[in-house]
Amino acid sequence: MKKLTFALCFALSSFTLSSTHAAEGQRVTLTGELIDTWCYTSEIMYALGTAHHKCAVWCAVGGIPVSIRTEDDQVYVILKVEEDDTSVANPRLVEIQTHQVTVNGDLYARDGVNYLIVDQVADDHGIVHINHEDFGIQPF
Amino acid sequence: MKMRSLPVLLFGLLSVSNPSLAADSWGIDGEEKARIQVTVVDLLCELTGNCAENCGDGKRQLGLLQEDGTLLLPAKNNDIFAGATADLIPFCGKKIEADGLLIKKDQITMFALQFKRELPDGKWSRANWFTRDWSERNGQDAARWFENDPTIKAELERTGILGLPGVTYVPQ
Repeated sequence: MKKLTFALCFALSSFTLSSTHAAEGQRVTLTGELIDTWCYTSEIMYALGTAHHKCAVWCAVGGIPVSIRTEDDQVYVILKVEEDDTSVANPRLVEIQTHQVTVNGDLYARDGVNYLIVDQVADDHGIVHINHEDFGIQPF
Repeated sequence: MKMRSLPVLLFGLLSVSNPSLAADSWGIDGEEKARIQVTVVDLLCELTGNCAENCGDGKRQLGLLQEDGTLLLPAKNNDIFAGATADLIPFCGKKIEADGLLIKKDQITMFALQFKRELPDGKWSRANWFTRDWSERNGQDAARWFENDPTIKAELERTGILGLPGVTYVPQ
Protein backbone atom coordinates (compact mmCIF):
# COMPACT_ATOMS: atom_id res chain seq x y z
CA MET A 1 0.00 0.00 0.00
CA LYS A 2 2.86 2.38 0.86
CA LYS A 3 4.43 1.65 -2.50
CA LEU A 4 1.16 2.41 -4.26
CA THR A 5 0.75 5.69 -2.38
CA PHE A 6 4.33 6.69 -3.22
CA ALA A 7 3.83 5.80 -6.87
CA LEU A 8 0.62 7.85 -7.03
CA CYS A 9 2.28 10.85 -5.36
CA PHE A 10 5.23 10.61 -7.74
CA ALA A 11 2.96 10.35 -10.76
CA LEU A 12 0.86 13.32 -9.67
CA SER A 13 3.90 15.50 -8.93
CA SER A 14 5.41 14.60 -12.29
CA PHE A 15 2.18 15.59 -14.04
CA THR A 16 2.13 18.92 -12.22
CA LEU A 17 5.71 19.68 -13.21
CA SER A 18 5.23 18.73 -16.83
CA SER A 19 1.94 20.58 -17.25
CA THR A 20 3.50 23.98 -16.57
CA HIS A 21 6.97 25.40 -16.90
CA ALA A 22 6.05 28.53 -14.99
CA ALA A 23 8.65 29.83 -12.56
CA GLU A 24 8.91 32.69 -10.12
CA GLY A 25 10.11 35.96 -11.59
CA GLN A 26 12.69 38.22 -10.02
CA ARG A 27 11.32 41.55 -8.81
CA VAL A 28 13.05 44.44 -10.57
CA THR A 29 12.83 48.17 -11.05
CA LEU A 30 14.33 49.27 -14.34
CA THR A 31 14.87 52.61 -16.04
CA GLY A 32 15.50 52.78 -19.76
CA GLU A 33 14.27 53.66 -23.23
CA LEU A 34 11.50 51.75 -24.96
CA ILE A 35 12.95 50.39 -28.19
CA ASP A 36 12.11 48.29 -31.18
CA THR A 37 13.84 45.06 -30.24
CA TRP A 38 14.68 44.03 -33.80
CA CYS A 39 16.16 47.25 -35.15
CA TYR A 40 18.21 47.87 -32.03
CA THR A 41 19.66 44.45 -31.38
CA SER A 42 20.20 43.45 -35.02
CA GLU A 43 22.14 46.72 -35.52
CA ILE A 44 20.72 47.15 -39.01
CA MET A 45 20.33 50.87 -38.36
CA TYR A 46 20.69 53.48 -35.64
CA ALA A 47 17.70 52.69 -33.45
CA LEU A 48 17.38 55.07 -30.51
CA GLY A 49 15.68 58.37 -29.78
CA THR A 50 13.93 60.83 -32.05
CA ALA A 51 15.95 59.67 -35.06
CA HIS A 52 14.28 56.28 -34.93
CA HIS A 53 10.90 57.07 -33.36
CA LYS A 54 8.84 56.75 -36.55
CA CYS A 55 10.34 53.35 -37.36
CA ALA A 56 9.91 52.23 -33.75
CA VAL A 57 6.18 52.98 -34.04
CA TRP A 58 5.99 51.12 -37.37
CA CYS A 59 7.62 48.07 -35.80
CA ALA A 60 5.54 48.15 -32.60
CA VAL A 61 2.32 48.25 -34.64
CA GLY A 62 3.80 45.54 -36.87
CA GLY A 63 4.02 43.27 -33.84
CA ILE A 64 7.77 43.19 -33.29
CA PRO A 65 8.46 42.90 -29.55
CA VAL A 66 9.00 46.17 -27.69
CA SER A 67 11.78 46.17 -25.11
CA ILE A 68 13.33 48.40 -22.49
CA ARG A 69 16.99 49.16 -23.11
CA THR A 70 18.79 50.20 -19.94
CA GLU A 71 21.90 52.38 -19.66
CA ASP A 72 24.11 49.30 -19.24
CA ASP A 73 22.88 48.15 -22.69
CA GLN A 74 20.73 45.30 -21.43
CA VAL A 75 17.48 44.59 -23.27
CA TYR A 76 14.25 43.44 -21.59
CA VAL A 77 11.41 42.16 -23.81
CA ILE A 78 8.01 43.29 -22.52
CA LEU A 79 5.29 40.62 -22.40
CA LYS A 80 2.69 42.44 -20.29
CA VAL A 81 1.97 46.04 -19.33
CA GLU A 82 0.04 46.73 -16.16
CA GLU A 83 -3.42 45.11 -16.47
CA ASP A 84 -3.06 44.40 -20.18
CA ASP A 85 -1.92 40.87 -21.06
CA THR A 86 -1.31 41.70 -24.72
CA SER A 87 2.12 42.44 -26.17
CA VAL A 88 1.54 42.52 -29.94
CA ALA A 89 0.79 46.05 -31.18
CA ASN A 90 -0.14 46.95 -27.60
CA PRO A 91 -1.70 50.47 -27.70
CA ARG A 92 -0.02 51.53 -24.42
CA LEU A 93 3.42 50.54 -25.71
CA VAL A 94 2.81 52.30 -29.04
CA GLU A 95 1.80 55.43 -27.12
CA ILE A 96 5.00 55.51 -25.01
CA GLN A 97 7.38 54.10 -27.63
CA THR A 98 10.88 55.68 -27.41
CA HIS A 99 10.11 57.24 -24.02
CA GLN A 100 12.46 56.82 -21.10
CA VAL A 101 10.47 55.08 -18.40
CA THR A 102 10.92 53.56 -15.00
CA VAL A 103 9.00 50.34 -14.50
CA ASN A 104 8.39 47.83 -11.76
CA GLY A 105 7.92 44.23 -12.69
CA ASP A 106 9.05 40.63 -12.76
CA LEU A 107 12.06 39.44 -14.77
CA TYR A 108 12.27 35.98 -16.32
CA ALA A 109 15.64 35.23 -17.90
CA ARG A 110 15.59 32.21 -20.21
CA ASP A 111 17.76 30.96 -23.07
CA GLY A 112 19.40 34.28 -23.84
CA VAL A 113 16.36 36.52 -23.44
CA ASN A 114 15.31 38.78 -20.58
CA TYR A 115 11.50 38.75 -20.48
CA LEU A 116 9.75 41.43 -18.44
CA ILE A 117 6.26 41.48 -16.94
CA VAL A 118 5.59 45.14 -16.22
CA ASP A 119 3.07 45.67 -13.47
CA GLN A 120 3.60 49.41 -13.17
CA VAL A 121 4.99 52.18 -15.33
CA ALA A 122 6.14 54.22 -12.35
CA ASP A 123 7.58 57.17 -14.27
CA ASP A 124 7.51 58.42 -17.83
CA HIS A 125 10.16 60.98 -18.78
CA GLY A 126 9.09 61.20 -22.43
CA ILE A 127 11.70 61.02 -25.17
CA VAL A 128 15.11 62.00 -23.83
CA HIS A 129 17.36 61.07 -26.76
CA ILE A 130 17.00 64.06 -29.06
CA ASN A 131 19.32 62.89 -31.79
CA HIS A 132 17.63 63.42 -35.19
CA GLU A 133 20.00 66.26 -36.04
CA ASP A 134 22.92 63.86 -35.69
CA PHE A 135 21.41 60.79 -37.34
CA GLY A 136 18.56 62.07 -39.52
CA ILE A 137 15.43 59.92 -39.74
CA GLN A 138 16.20 56.19 -39.61
CA PRO A 139 15.88 54.30 -41.88
CA PHE A 140 14.09 56.78 -44.19
CA MET B 1 25.68 51.16 -33.88
CA LYS B 2 26.23 49.96 -37.44
CA MET B 3 24.16 50.33 -40.58
CA ARG B 4 26.05 48.05 -42.91
CA SER B 5 23.33 45.43 -43.17
CA LEU B 6 20.37 47.64 -44.03
CA PRO B 7 20.54 47.46 -47.86
CA VAL B 8 20.93 43.68 -47.74
CA LEU B 9 18.07 43.33 -45.28
CA LEU B 10 15.69 45.60 -47.17
CA PHE B 11 16.46 43.76 -50.39
CA GLY B 12 15.79 40.47 -48.66
CA LEU B 13 12.50 41.60 -47.16
CA LEU B 14 11.21 43.09 -50.39
CA SER B 15 12.38 40.22 -52.55
CA VAL B 16 9.85 37.60 -53.62
CA SER B 17 12.33 35.14 -55.07
CA ASN B 18 13.48 32.13 -53.16
CA PRO B 19 12.36 28.98 -54.91
CA SER B 20 14.38 26.78 -52.57
CA LEU B 21 12.29 27.79 -49.52
CA ALA B 22 15.39 27.95 -47.37
CA ALA B 23 16.59 30.83 -45.28
CA ASP B 24 18.48 33.73 -46.84
CA SER B 25 21.30 35.47 -45.05
CA TRP B 26 20.40 38.99 -43.96
CA GLY B 27 24.00 39.95 -43.23
CA ILE B 28 23.47 40.38 -39.51
CA ASP B 29 26.35 39.81 -37.11
CA GLY B 30 25.72 36.64 -35.12
CA GLU B 31 23.18 35.16 -37.54
CA GLU B 32 23.15 31.48 -38.38
CA LYS B 33 20.76 29.73 -40.77
CA ALA B 34 18.59 27.28 -38.85
CA ARG B 35 15.80 24.81 -39.61
CA ILE B 36 14.25 23.67 -36.35
CA GLN B 37 11.34 21.56 -35.15
CA VAL B 38 9.45 23.33 -32.39
CA THR B 39 6.13 23.72 -30.63
CA VAL B 40 4.46 27.13 -30.87
CA VAL B 41 3.70 28.44 -27.36
CA ASP B 42 2.29 31.53 -25.67
CA LEU B 43 5.36 33.13 -24.04
CA LEU B 44 3.47 34.64 -21.11
CA CYS B 45 1.86 31.26 -20.42
CA GLU B 46 5.12 29.34 -20.79
CA LEU B 47 7.02 31.64 -18.44
CA THR B 48 4.46 32.63 -15.83
CA GLY B 49 1.48 30.29 -16.09
CA ASN B 50 -0.77 33.18 -17.21
CA CYS B 51 -2.39 31.43 -20.16
CA ALA B 52 -4.98 32.55 -22.69
CA GLU B 53 -7.16 30.63 -25.09
CA ASN B 54 -5.51 30.05 -28.48
CA CYS B 55 -2.25 31.66 -27.24
CA GLY B 56 -4.00 35.04 -27.04
CA ASP B 57 -5.43 35.03 -30.57
CA GLY B 58 -2.45 36.90 -32.04
CA LYS B 59 -2.26 39.60 -29.38
CA ARG B 60 0.50 37.96 -27.34
CA GLN B 61 4.12 37.34 -28.31
CA LEU B 62 4.68 33.70 -29.15
CA GLY B 63 7.64 31.41 -28.49
CA LEU B 64 9.26 28.46 -30.23
CA LEU B 65 9.83 25.63 -27.77
CA GLN B 66 12.37 23.01 -28.78
CA GLU B 67 12.28 19.36 -27.64
CA ASP B 68 15.15 19.95 -25.21
CA GLY B 69 13.23 22.77 -23.50
CA THR B 70 15.06 25.63 -25.19
CA LEU B 71 12.71 28.55 -25.71
CA LEU B 72 13.31 30.88 -28.68
CA LEU B 73 11.91 34.34 -29.32
CA PRO B 74 10.67 34.72 -32.92
CA ALA B 75 11.15 38.49 -33.15
CA LYS B 76 10.77 38.97 -36.90
CA ASN B 77 9.08 37.53 -39.96
CA ASN B 78 9.78 38.04 -43.67
CA ASP B 79 7.64 41.19 -44.02
CA ILE B 80 9.19 44.59 -43.68
CA PHE B 81 8.77 46.10 -40.17
CA ALA B 82 6.67 43.16 -38.90
CA GLY B 83 6.86 40.42 -36.29
CA ALA B 84 6.08 36.72 -36.60
CA THR B 85 2.84 36.37 -34.64
CA ALA B 86 0.53 36.32 -37.68
CA ASP B 87 2.59 33.49 -39.17
CA LEU B 88 2.60 31.44 -35.98
CA ILE B 89 -0.80 31.90 -34.35
CA PRO B 90 -2.52 29.30 -36.58
CA PHE B 91 -0.12 26.78 -35.06
CA CYS B 92 -0.67 27.56 -31.35
CA GLY B 93 0.22 24.41 -29.40
CA LYS B 94 1.23 22.57 -32.57
CA LYS B 95 4.56 21.29 -33.81
CA ILE B 96 6.02 23.08 -36.78
CA GLU B 97 9.24 23.26 -38.70
CA ALA B 98 10.64 26.79 -38.73
CA ASP B 99 13.26 27.94 -41.17
CA GLY B 100 15.12 31.18 -40.67
CA LEU B 101 17.99 32.83 -38.87
CA LEU B 102 19.04 32.20 -35.30
CA ILE B 103 20.68 35.40 -34.16
CA LYS B 104 22.83 35.51 -31.06
CA LYS B 105 23.82 38.94 -29.76
CA ASP B 106 25.23 40.05 -26.43
CA GLN B 107 21.84 41.37 -25.31
CA ILE B 108 19.50 38.77 -26.77
CA THR B 109 19.03 35.55 -28.72
CA MET B 110 16.24 35.70 -31.30
CA PHE B 111 14.86 33.94 -34.35
CA ALA B 112 13.97 35.58 -37.67
CA LEU B 113 11.27 33.40 -39.24
CA GLN B 114 11.42 33.13 -43.04
CA PHE B 115 9.43 29.95 -43.78
CA LYS B 116 7.28 27.58 -41.77
CA ARG B 117 5.21 24.41 -42.12
CA GLU B 118 3.12 22.29 -39.77
CA LEU B 119 4.57 18.89 -38.90
CA PRO B 120 4.54 16.18 -39.92
CA ASP B 121 3.63 16.91 -43.54
CA GLY B 122 2.34 20.48 -43.95
CA LYS B 123 3.33 22.57 -46.95
CA TRP B 124 6.05 25.17 -46.61
CA SER B 125 4.89 28.76 -46.77
CA ARG B 126 6.75 32.05 -46.66
CA ALA B 127 6.53 33.90 -43.35
CA ASN B 128 4.68 36.89 -44.77
CA TRP B 129 1.24 36.49 -43.29
CA PHE B 130 1.37 39.85 -41.51
CA THR B 131 1.05 41.70 -44.82
CA ARG B 132 -1.41 39.11 -46.16
CA ASP B 133 -3.68 39.73 -43.16
CA TRP B 134 -3.10 43.51 -43.24
CA SER B 135 -4.12 43.64 -46.88
CA GLU B 136 -7.31 41.70 -46.15
CA ARG B 137 -8.16 43.96 -43.19
CA ASN B 138 -7.47 47.21 -44.99
CA GLY B 139 -8.49 46.37 -48.54
CA GLN B 140 -5.30 47.61 -50.13
CA ASP B 141 -1.88 46.48 -51.22
CA ALA B 142 0.45 45.97 -48.25
CA ALA B 143 3.81 46.57 -49.91
CA ARG B 144 4.20 49.82 -47.93
CA TRP B 145 1.70 48.97 -45.22
CA PHE B 146 3.57 51.02 -42.62
CA GLU B 147 2.84 54.25 -44.49
CA ASN B 148 -0.87 53.51 -44.84
CA ASP B 149 -1.77 51.83 -41.57
CA PRO B 150 -4.53 53.79 -39.77
CA THR B 151 -3.12 53.17 -36.28
CA ILE B 152 0.33 54.39 -37.31
CA LYS B 153 -1.10 57.41 -39.11
CA ALA B 154 -3.09 58.40 -36.02
CA GLU B 155 -0.12 57.96 -33.68
CA LEU B 156 2.31 59.91 -35.86
CA GLU B 157 -0.27 62.66 -36.37
CA ARG B 158 -0.49 62.90 -32.57
CA THR B 159 3.24 62.97 -31.84
CA GLY B 160 4.94 63.85 -35.12
CA ILE B 161 7.62 61.61 -36.62
CA LEU B 162 10.08 62.64 -33.90
CA GLY B 163 7.70 61.66 -31.12
CA LEU B 164 7.73 65.26 -29.90
CA PRO B 165 4.25 66.82 -30.26
CA GLY B 166 4.47 70.21 -31.94
CA VAL B 167 8.07 69.75 -33.16
CA THR B 168 8.45 69.48 -36.91
CA TYR B 169 11.38 67.69 -38.50
CA VAL B 170 13.43 69.88 -40.80
CA PRO B 171 15.99 67.87 -42.80
CA GLN B 172 19.53 69.25 -42.48
